[in-house]
Amino acid sequence: MLKRNPFRTALAVGTAAALAAAGGACSSESEDDTVNLTVGLFGDFGFGPLYEEYMEANPGIVIEERIAEFADHHTNLTTHLATGSGAADIEAVEVGYISQYTAEPDRFHNLLDYGAGDLEDRWLDWKWQQGLATDGGAQIGLGTDVGGMAMCYRRDLFEAAGLPTERDEVSALWAESWEDYVEVGHDYVEATGGEYFFESSGNMFRAMVEQAEQGVYDRDDNIVVDSNPAVKESWDLTVEAVEAGMSNQLEAWTPEWNASFTEGTFATIICPAWMTTYIETNAPDAAGLWDIATVPGGAGNMGGSHLVLPAQGEHPEEAYEFIEWLTAPEQQLKVFEETGNFPSTPELYEDEAFTGMTAEYFNEAPVGEIFTDSAESVEPQYQGPLQGDVLSTIGAGLGRIEEGAQSPDEAWQQVLSDLESF
Amino acid sequence: MTSIPSARKRRAHLRLMRNRPGRLAYLTLVAVMFFSGFPLYYSLVVASKDNSALAQVPPPVLPGANLVENVGRVFDTVPFDFALLNSAIVSLSVTASVVFFSTLAGFAFAKLEFRASKALLVAVVATMMVPVQLGVIPLYMLMVELHLTDTLWAVVAPGLVNAFGVFFMTQYLRGAMPGDLIEAARMDGASTFRIFWQVVFPVARPAAVVLGVLTFLTAWNDYFWPLIVLSSPEKYTVQVALSSLSGGYVTDYSLVLTATMLATLPLLAVFALLGKYMIAGIMQGAVKG
Amino acid sequence: MAIATKGRAPNPRKPATAGRLRYRLDLHASPYLYIAPFFVLFAAFGLFPLAFTAWVSLHDWSLLSDEHVFVGAENYANLLTDGYFWNALVNTMSILALATVPQLLAALCLAHLLTFRLRGQTFFRMGMLLPNVASVVAVAVIFSQLFGRDFGLINWVLEALGAGRIDWQAGRASSHVAIAVMVAWKWTGYNTLIYLAAMQAVPREVYEAARLDGAGRLSQLFRVTVPMIRPTIVFTVIVSTIYGLQIFAEPQLFGGAGASGVTGGPSRQFQTLTLYLYEHGFNRGFEFGYASAVAWTMFAVIVVIALLNYLLVKRIRSSS
Repeated sequence: MLKRNPFRTALAVGTAAALAAAGGACSSESEDDTVNLTVGLFGDFGFGPLYEEYMEANPGIVIEERIAEFADHHTNLTTHLATGSGAADIEAVEVGYISQYTAEPDRFHNLLDYGAGDLEDRWLDWKWQQGLATDGGAQIGLGTDVGGMAMCYRRDLFEAAGLPTERDEVSALWAESWEDYVEVGHDYVEATGGEYFFESSGNMFRAMVEQAEQGVYDRDDNIVVDSNPAVKESWDLTVEAVEAGMSNQLEAWTPEWNASFTEGTFATIICPAWMTTYIETNAPDAAGLWDIATVPGGAGNMGGSHLVLPAQGEHPEEAYEFIEWLTAPEQQLKVFEETGNFPSTPELYEDEAFTGMTAEYFNEAPVGEIFTDSAESVEPQYQGPLQGDVLSTIGAGLGRIEEGAQSPDEAWQQVLSDLESF
Repeated sequence: MTSIPSARKRRAHLRLMRNRPGRLAYLTLVAVMFFSGFPLYYSLVVASKDNSALAQVPPPVLPGANLVENVGRVFDTVPFDFALLNSAIVSLSVTASVVFFSTLAGFAFAKLEFRASKALLVAVVATMMVPVQLGVIPLYMLMVELHLTDTLWAVVAPGLVNAFGVFFMTQYLRGAMPGDLIEAARMDGASTFRIFWQVVFPVARPAAVVLGVLTFLTAWNDYFWPLIVLSSPEKYTVQVALSSLSGGYVTDYSLVLTATMLATLPLLAVFALLGKYMIAGIMQGAVKG
Repeated sequence: MAIATKGRAPNPRKPATAGRLRYRLDLHASPYLYIAPFFVLFAAFGLFPLAFTAWVSLHDWSLLSDEHVFVGAENYANLLTDGYFWNALVNTMSILALATVPQLLAALCLAHLLTFRLRGQTFFRMGMLLPNVASVVAVAVIFSQLFGRDFGLINWVLEALGAGRIDWQAGRASSHVAIAVMVAWKWTGYNTLIYLAAMQAVPREVYEAARLDGAGRLSQLFRVTVPMIRPTIVFTVIVSTIYGLQIFAEPQLFGGAGASGVTGGPSRQFQTLTLYLYEHGFNRGFEFGYASAVAWTMFAVIVVIALLNYLLVKRIRSSS
């Protein structure tokens, strides 16, 4: 019974070898004169060739990129900020998260100390403001891209509903206001016998609120959802559209939502620049069916990022110099050409490369003009620390109406009571 | 059942019945295999097409022609070379350690008498009951203090033991380890450790193999903690390396699924090569007492 | 001096005097030595995080702020008066019941099947682990495709059968069923292998005897196998309860990448306790203190429910 057992031997050898290997792989790094800059991003920003270019021009700098998935990146960053260690020298922050970080500017190097103040005019004013600390005394991030907004629509569905199909005429239908857009929606639903006019109500509500002078916060960081009439008006108009059956009630980024682009289950969708890429790659068969008009009210932004320097980073000067270069118009243009991420520097909007840009998939729509107009017309609006969560809470209220779980009044009351716990 | 020949005959007949499951059994198992394996197959389908495959209604069932191109794109973006080695080191260390220490502790809890053993076992199980999501923050602080951040040690260390393994082995040995075998060895003058090594471990083998496979899989697929604690690309494990494929605003799923499929291949290869031995290990433990 | 092996009469054998001390030491000290690695390593890497979150739970502690105000039990008081916490608790229990009971029964039957001599048995046995090998992305994509409202396969079948479409996400019961299916899909094979290993230790003779008594296959399983592998069943029930109450990935994937993935739908119809914890810990201003209080309250809940389940399965007698 007590004979040698090959399984045990293998296990013992395995343990020893694996532990030894783990030890061997953990040798410490060597130090030298070069400055290593790490860049933490969510997804590929198309910076690759620019790193090469910069390192060639600055021999003492070595740049290294780390990429994680969107939500993981921000959780990871927050963990490292909270523990004061482990963050990259340069980190990307998406606009949905930026106001949580501007509320705690001490966690970041103040870019005004490094001369960012002189460059304020480089960016769209609202883009600059998004990175400003709540008290205005610090700038934590330099803007990369923005998501100027347009309205994508299905020509075939518009035609079937007896609506105009040319983009200028379509834009004119709702050029003035979201009320006009909802009016068109009523016509569409009636003409088609109950087909959906848009994908989901949450984005419509967001787009509307962001066009208002004041959003869900006042400048003292109070949530003003219950007292700001602009919010309630946007809500009511959205509810009107939902109750008229205009919403397809699709959750963004789900397979259902994906499929809907090809199937053409709805007629319009709010379309930031990056969304057009998405539609094009997910619904190649629908080429020529989609077109792009302007968004109601003419202005809007969805998405976009900043590059921030966590205070724990040891090379703020080098890092600042690098991101200052990286976000300059010339580089943003190269990124745009590489990835389609839309620049945040108005100087480029004069450029022929932009104004003349068209999208073949969308019937040669002049997207350059549409997106630049829309991004430039955005009025800066103050955004509070929990901006994203407040909007999600209101979005959930609209979702409850869509699912038939609550009446609009109940949903609104619950939104208000939910917000009290913030 | 008085006549011996008839009983023997009947026994033989019954054994035949037992060993030859009917069609229904095969049908059930094939169905289970189909449902279990479908996501893997579907990964292959999407990986061999482009992103629009996801949007098709009904979804595609046959692979397309883009696989080679997608694999090439993955290898261009993902630094797989070090990552495979790192993942192998981490998963093997964790697996070996968990199996060894769990069996050892399981033996003690199941078959040895000592003061407070029940309370200590309850303590082991209780450690599983606190949700781990928040633990990453203090654990990271700890790794900073120990100067272990950005080393594979930081990934390996928290995984070296787990309550699951100890509890599993305890319960298994409770049912499977006959007390008289241990007695007999003790009569022979064997020390407790010798008994463990030569008597208990062979009996524990089926459970040890299962625990090893499950631990290896979990360690191989672990993602969030390595992502937080590793920062240099040459230290990345496979799952962390894969994350460099995430899109910014738009994700190319055909690429992501190609990559996850590639990360799965080593696992499948190990299963295909060693599966027979693992199963043999699981099956051989039967105590012929 | 009592022998240290359970269930045996005292061993009359006395070792030689020279080795006696060592023998006694071995007998009394070695159990502690064997469980020590677990406790030492756990103390090194597991204890601090637990103690730390317990401390944090008594504070108003945001991850991004340096101000940590001691608030005593306030987080716990707020938590217990928050209807959404109780909502999450009910959802979790419902999903746990829907997922675990069928899953463990199916695993038991599958493991029983796999003990037979089968053609291609290696394939079938290893195949049980396929759901644990598949990538999370693929699983998320496939299950949302299956349970899709407009283009989902299941709704397509339902419609073909003349039943209506179901908006799986919108309803409380339907979303719980969908999530339970995802959970069961992933963990049935895992539990099957655990049972299979335990079944190997059941001596063949016991089956023979049962068969001579005229027991069919199914009654063999429940009358012979189940009592024999009782400790392992206790193990799976307790572990499934513990992990089931911490269920996170499946409801999050089911909710999608947007806010619904955290709140468990607009009406919080499928928000589980861990999602609730995550909503506060990693969204909403990173309320680490409050989230820690959630974690420790969950601990208390899990202890109670695991204990109840333990008492329940303890009633499986070892052979009647």
